[in-house]
Amino acid sequence: MKWYDRITMIDRRVIYLLLTVFVIIPFFIKVTIPQKIMPQTRRLFDFIESIPPNDKVVMISFDYSPQTQPECHPMAKALLKHCFARGIPIVGLSFEPEAPGLAVDALVSVVQEIDSLATNREDSLVYGIDYVYLGWKSGRIAAQLDMGEAISGVFPRDYFGNLIDSLPLMQATKNYKNVAIVIILASADYPIDWIRYPQTRYGIKVGAGLTAVMAPQYYPFVQTGQVSGLMSGMKGAAEYEKLVLDHGYARTLGSAETGMNSQSMIHILIIVFIILGNVGYFFSRRQKGTHK
Amino acid sequence: MSSDPWIWIGAILTLMIFSFLYRDNPFYKFGEHLFVGIANGYYIVYYWHNALKPNLFEPLSAGQFVYVVPLLLGLMYFTRFIPRISWLVRIPIGFTIGWGAGLSIPALFQADVLRQLEGTVVTPATFSDLASGIWAVIILIGVVCTLVYFFFSREQKGLLGSASRLGIIFIMIGFGASFGYTVMARVSLLIGRIQFLLGPWLGLID
Amino acid sequence: MKRKLPLAICFFMGISMMIQFFIPHPTSLNFGSMIYKWIIVLMAFALVLAIGNLIRHHGFKIQKGKEDWPYSIVTLTSMVAMAIIGLAWGIDPDSLYQSIYLNIMAPLGGTMFALLAYYMASAAYRAFRARSLEATLLLISAFVVMIGFMPFGQYIHPRFPAFAEWIMKVPNMASQRGILLGVAFGSIATALKIILGIERSWLGGKE
Repeated sequence: MKWYDRITMIDRRVIYLLLTVFVIIPFFIKVTIPQKIMPQTRRLFDFIESIPPNDKVVMISFDYSPQTQPECHPMAKALLKHCFARGIPIVGLSFEPEAPGLAVDALVSVVQEIDSLATNREDSLVYGIDYVYLGWKSGRIAAQLDMGEAISGVFPRDYFGNLIDSLPLMQATKNYKNVAIVIILASADYPIDWIRYPQTRYGIKVGAGLTAVMAPQYYPFVQTGQVSGLMSGMKGAAEYEKLVLDHGYARTLGSAETGMNSQSMIHILIIVFIILGNVGYFFSRRQKGTHK
Repeated sequence: MSSDPWIWIGAILTLMIFSFLYRDNPFYKFGEHLFVGIANGYYIVYYWHNALKPNLFEPLSAGQFVYVVPLLLGLMYFTRFIPRISWLVRIPIGFTIGWGAGLSIPALFQADVLRQLEGTVVTPATFSDLASGIWAVIILIGVVCTLVYFFFSREQKGLLGSASRLGIIFIMIGFGASFGYTVMARVSLLIGRIQFLLGPWLGLID
Repeated sequence: MKRKLPLAICFFMGISMMIQFFIPHPTSLNFGSMIYKWIIVLMAFALVLAIGNLIRHHGFKIQKGKEDWPYSIVTLTSMVAMAIIGLAWGIDPDSLYQSIYLNIMAPLGGTMFALLAYYMASAAYRAFRARSLEATLLLISAFVVMIGFMPFGQYIHPRFPAFAEWIMKVPNMASQRGILLGVAFGSIATALKIILGIERSWLGGKE
């Protein structure tokens, strides 16, 4: 067998093994390479920066599942840290059935982190005043449209069973008029429903934190301003973590930043594999052409 | 290494699924079927606690009898299993599909057509910055040529053929970019699982 | 009747929702709000149907002793157990239901998706060939984006990340917008055909 045929026939298990090794190595050999922040991530960050504290809420729709947790969970935590640090109340909800557990995990972990650093009662976060998690609802588009009139009509109770009208934050947040922006953290096409329906009807601002697979499709919406800002995949999460850290809203970077080195290694590996495959293909084709 | 039994369960199940990379085996099949079962059980509970109970049964108990209509429509779904009256399932389906179709028309026009056309149109104001103006013209050409590529009502030759060829070039560049992002997405998921195994389970990393 | 009634309901709902979208009068908004609440309930019932189908499929496999039938027992048992745990003991953050979700369901689902990274690498190595101009452009575009968006990309050339960003913002966006417009026109046409009863495949069946 010629060398150019051999390099196109590497056993798949060798590829799998190399992939695994290249993911693991950067966890032990830590190299910090500065991130270049993408414009659309910065736009989202700047939008949150422009919201006055204790005014309108930021609504976060946690719509990712455990399958895409590595990309979206760091986004959620960075976003929560940013909003809480700026005194912006949060109203969370979900339309993805597998999301609520992760949403509660993100809220609890960030709130605990902030409360552990609080020196007095004002610095700590109180459920029902600083943040509320409404839970999950079926009939996504119907629920999104109905919230434009009254959020309590769709969510009579929050995720923990409290009556919505008993929560001070929800007494002040009746519908989209009290929402500065809704940011959808999603692994499927949830943001597009927010753009098509509530934004068209009620003019609500929409931001998104998407898995990298979805991100290219939303560039047209970013260009028209229908999406006010966008975090794309683990890179977007790492960028937002960096922005939050640089502005003093967090003390450490999150898990997305540490994953970027593995990302870089794997990208190089895949490019090498594709080049090997193509080199073998071209030489093989040339050889066949010569024999003809 | 973790002493939490839940972490160990998660790690063992993770390795069971990863075993499929070597070949299909009973451990993988067990994990796969367990996932399907637990996910469906999860959905049952969620739909009860978050949709049916607060949005149907609690309002009905409170005397809002207009909710009898969605209750009846919902029950009609089950007529699918009774051959003699299975045609009744078309009623809730027709209700939902009609609702979705009617709602989508103005929404799609506004968000997907009009706003997107607005963003594509090139005006003298676009050339306030020369580079932005040139890119806007390229975008306009790209959008038109992409649409022409998918236009099959006429034979693609002459000007139409050239525009279609240019369209496929834009589409291929777009798909290449999407592939690049897809690589990042898939690798992120793998990194997440490896982080879990090395961190919370084995305790080798923070 | 068996076809005309559902078609009439579909027509009425379609037209009324289209009209309701444009009328901001409180009566119209209240009507819309009522329908949205009904849809929330109907979507929940649709799941019950899906669960019924799952039970039927796996029950049949067990009954007939089809291949891999013992795994169907795993599926049905775990589904029933999870449902009982959630319905009987609640879904609070510190409940057994949440523990099973975080420590069994999440790792299983996450790992299944993680396998995709391996398949994608293997498939890209075997199938990604620059056979034509279009395929070559796709490859080059993929390489530029993959390298440009990684932190090390700026060290290969300082303008690499900007070039990758340009690819996303100009040619990629143009093609995505063209596809978006095409899909939107197609969806609008299909929605109109459904409302007007021209498209009837959703009725199913012969009678």
